[in-house]
Amino acid sequence: MSTGRVKTRVQKGEIIAYSESAVRNNAAIVKYCRTSMAALSGSTAGLLGLTGFYGFGFYVFSVLGLWVMLLMKAGTQWQKFFINRRSLLTHDFFGSLFTYVLFWTFLYGMVHVY
Amino acid sequence: MFPRTFLTMGILSLFHAAYSAVQHRSYLRITAQEFTTLPLDILLQAIISMFLTMYGILQIAGDFKEIRATVDLESKSWETLRNIPSFYTVNHRGRALSPEFDPASLKSQTQSLSTVSSDAVYS
Repeated sequence: MSTGRVKTRVQKGEIIAYSESAVRNNAAIVKYCRTSMAALSGSTAGLLGLTGFYGFGFYVFSVLGLWVMLLMKAGTQWQKFFINRRSLLTHDFFGSLFTYVLFWTFLYGMVHVY
Repeated sequence: MFPRTFLTMGILSLFHAAYSAVQHRSYLRITAQEFTTLPLDILLQAIISMFLTMYGILQIAGDFKEIRATVDLESKSWETLRNIPSFYTVNHRGRALSPEFDPASLKSQTQSLSTVSSDAVYS
């Protein structure tokens, strides 16, 4: 069937069924935003000339900013779109850190070294 | 498109801030001063344009879907769910109801079919 598989979870004694395709769709959107955010904030950090722990601090700041923006986009009822709110914050943290460092060093070299 | 405007404006502003930073560095180099931090206006412009671009990207990425399975299934009727195209039968006896139906043609067709099959068997 085109509806995809259905995942269930027991919560407070009742079973909630989740549509697999919808969960996958939301995860893909979040991943897209996260990768773009890593590239963008990396560029900004390099532009600002941050070095050392200030750069990693800026990464944490931008991750928190993205989390708030995603929750704002989801609106008041985030339970409708996400199973877990905390995994929205921590998921793929180190994966996008590599993208961040790549853009950070690139822009730092372009602006401040050469 | 509104979000695309946000995205373009943000990226252009980010480029402008980068260019300003380069100019500031070259100014410091000429005047033989030590670099500590960028001026506050470049800093603010970079951070604000970053958030502007991020907002544009969030709008472009698409809308979230409702994840509860019941909402997805509620909009579908029983006719939609039991519709399986692989099991469609087109060639059935219902064609005899058509006004253009000619039993003779059907008869000759089956005869030719049977002769063909018998030929195939005996050759």
